[in-house]
Amino acid sequence: MAVPAIDIQNVSKYFAKVIANKDVSLTVEEGEVVALLGENGAGKSTIMKILYGLYGKDEGKIFVRGEEVNIKNPADAMSRGIAMIQQHFSLVPTHTATENIILGNVHGHVNIKEHEKKLKEIALKYGFDVPVDVPVGQLAVGQQQKIEILKALYINTSILIMDEPTAVLTPQESDNLMQFIKDFTAKGNSIVFITHKMKEVMEVADKIVVMRNGVVVDTVKREDTDEQELAKLMIGEPIIPPARDESIDYMNNDVVLSIKDVSFGEKNAVDLLKDLNFDIHKGEIFGIAGVSGNGQDELCDVISGLKHATKGTIVLDGEDITKASIKKRNTMGIGYCPVDRYRDAMVMDMTLAENIFLKHWWDKEWSNKGFIRIKKLNEYTNELIKRHRVKANDYSDIARGLSGGNQQKVVLGREVDLGKKLLIFNQPTRGLDMGAVDRIHHVISEEKANGKAVLLISTELSEIFEMCDRIAVMHGGKMMGIYKNGDLTTEQIGLLMAGVHLEDEKEVAE
Amino acid sequence: MKSRANILLYNIGAVIIGLIISAILLLFMKVNPLDVCGQALGKIVSDKYNLGEVLVKATPLIFTSLAFAFTYNANLFNIGAQGQFLMGSIVAVALSLKLQSIVPTFILLIIVLIGSAAGGAFMGGLIGGAKAKFKANEFLVSMMSTYVVSNFMDYLLRTSLQETKAEYMQTDAIDKAAYLPTILPGTRVHLGFVIAVLFAIGVWVLLNKTTLGFQIRAVGKNSDAANLGGIKPTTIYVISFMIAGGLAGIAGLTEINGVQHMLLRDFNASIGSYGIGIAILANGNPIGCIFASILFGFLNVMGTTMGRLPGLNIPASIIELIEGIVMACVIISYAVRRIVENKKKKKQMRKAGA
Repeated sequence: MAVPAIDIQNVSKYFAKVIANKDVSLTVEEGEVVALLGENGAGKSTIMKILYGLYGKDEGKIFVRGEEVNIKNPADAMSRGIAMIQQHFSLVPTHTATENIILGNVHGHVNIKEHEKKLKEIALKYGFDVPVDVPVGQLAVGQQQKIEILKALYINTSILIMDEPTAVLTPQESDNLMQFIKDFTAKGNSIVFITHKMKEVMEVADKIVVMRNGVVVDTVKREDTDEQELAKLMIGEPIIPPARDESIDYMNNDVVLSIKDVSFGEKNAVDLLKDLNFDIHKGEIFGIAGVSGNGQDELCDVISGLKHATKGTIVLDGEDITKASIKKRNTMGIGYCPVDRYRDAMVMDMTLAENIFLKHWWDKEWSNKGFIRIKKLNEYTNELIKRHRVKANDYSDIARGLSGGNQQKVVLGREVDLGKKLLIFNQPTRGLDMGAVDRIHHVISEEKANGKAVLLISTELSEIFEMCDRIAVMHGGKMMGIYKNGDLTTEQIGLLMAGVHLEDEKEVAE
Repeated sequence: MKSRANILLYNIGAVIIGLIISAILLLFMKVNPLDVCGQALGKIVSDKYNLGEVLVKATPLIFTSLAFAFTYNANLFNIGAQGQFLMGSIVAVALSLKLQSIVPTFILLIIVLIGSAAGGAFMGGLIGGAKAKFKANEFLVSMMSTYVVSNFMDYLLRTSLQETKAEYMQTDAIDKAAYLPTILPGTRVHLGFVIAVLFAIGVWVLLNKTTLGFQIRAVGKNSDAANLGGIKPTTIYVISFMIAGGLAGIAGLTEINGVQHMLLRDFNASIGSYGIGIAILANGNPIGCIFASILFGFLNVMGTTMGRLPGLNIPASIIELIEGIVMACVIISYAVRRIVENKKKKKQMRKAGA
């Protein structure tokens, strides 16, 4: 048997708080596509970052083409033909593709034209259609990713690592990427791609390495396995999604939130939201699908009160709240789980009780003449921890010490109690492990059953299909249409997400 | 609780190391540090008056360090405690001179307390307001505000507040009736020290037990999340700076009515900057500010005493050097503590993993 391109033997990595990798061993043959499958936090990215020289390993050995190596930094990795495309691209938005790609590889006088020519040749070889002389900030995410790939190809990479490459892509763009992976490896190169999506794994991977809690659970050949088996390996226990009753027609229920002609934009800039119109009814989950960055966050901002709509009205339960303060909206019964938990939802260096108090400080029930009613707060926090099965000791735990899923459960618990009428979830399960996702989905279903109106924004189509009664697709700040769940196929949603109108599709009227 | 004890241990260790390094420096001056320190220490401990001076020096430092520590909890930097203190002093001396013959001592002192706090709070409010309204950098604004107040004070000392003799740039001395009463006979220790300790405790309660304190800390630790919790960070900026300014202003009362009994040029020129260092030494903890201030009060008296030791010719400024070294050691100790704790955790992990 030939010498493997990469041979990782018993590598371990310890962080101060967690064991990130323990005795991880895997091999990558030449011309092979290896999928690194696992939930978030399973240690997939860590082991690859070690290979790419971003982290140092604490134990174990790494061989590249049979030679034992100690990769100190990415430059070292690149000189051995290893490149990694991070989940968040490392491109300078104001530079062109060419400038980005030659960054760090050239010295002295630079002949841009010559480099552009060389790049175009490489791009042509793989059928990439990307402009090499436009600032990358102006390009779509899918194209930016191609530039990242070109960057790797430019330095003659033979082992390409991709971290969650399809997370930001439309279904069509993902298909293109899969095609590239096949072409690239057909030339004898190797690819490791990190993912938690089973579908992609089954499509392109030759070998699948399943990781859980920092260890390799199993290594299987694609042809010897199926999605069910992989799911079982990945999660360790079966997951039952909450059942959705499709027979109820929510359109007849009272309207809780009504958005009329709402636009939003910063001064002297393009509108980020354009003339949005929709109602959410009692007991209904209204889903918004779309590639992130198409106005979803701004929509949340204008409903939660962080920003004010520049046009149109927002009505909650018959009361116009277009200009109301955040506090006022909180007291009126809006609960909101923002997408960026670290930035917007929690104070990481405060205790869990204090984080709960963050949305109760104005309430006379929770304070007495300006003094916090600490005992009551602590008891409530303990009760919430128990109710939502948060893995924490008690109210005095510092939020930062909890795992992402448990932090999200605390936020969720706080917001569902606060949001008596409307709950807004912006990608509530992003970056969480399956167990936490399951718990969060069940809580959302419970709140729907309690008659609350729910706005669920997600980039995961499976989540949208699983949870929502109606689905709207956003693109470029506009609604591409509102549909009943079940009226759209994945392909159709994919087209809508990419901004293509479905001429023949029957829109479900409001 | 364990981690708090740990911090204290590191702090004490750092202070000791700082003193040892300082002692080595004394060697370069060709004096025997043990001998000198022993002599100075003996002079302080054996003399009630000197011992009392430690608390006298510590009193205004408690206030100026609280002024920094308070905004520090809102993640703001108040470098202008000196200016706020001077404003408090101006108000204190003006009110005392005006009212000392009209109202009884007790009421006068209460009026001066409120007035000096209001003077400092006014300065703080300007800084906080500039930050909230124009997004001005509070670090620079507060720092420069000190010069404004200092020059304003000079102007007053030359005009409306100048002594009746109109000779020096200073005010008339206030009457005995306007003095803060001495609490330890035979020393200069005055009621101001008790007031300072009470305020430090009050600040701790305010920060940790009240809704307002919660809002301030929430804004300090994550203003985005606080904002989404309905707390207006801009309002908090103004409030924190006003409270901080008020605290520094009260030092005006303790220094004018407790110690100096008049206002003069370059009045206590460095207590503002010491306050910053002390607050950092105390890691922003109000109770810690009391002890750190006493430590610095002690070092201050120690320096003066050393300078007065016969036949050794030690410059009194040596103490500023010592204070600087101690402070540097404490700040380094924070970094050291983090590294050590990380290493320890990692080791535990490895054991657990093996």
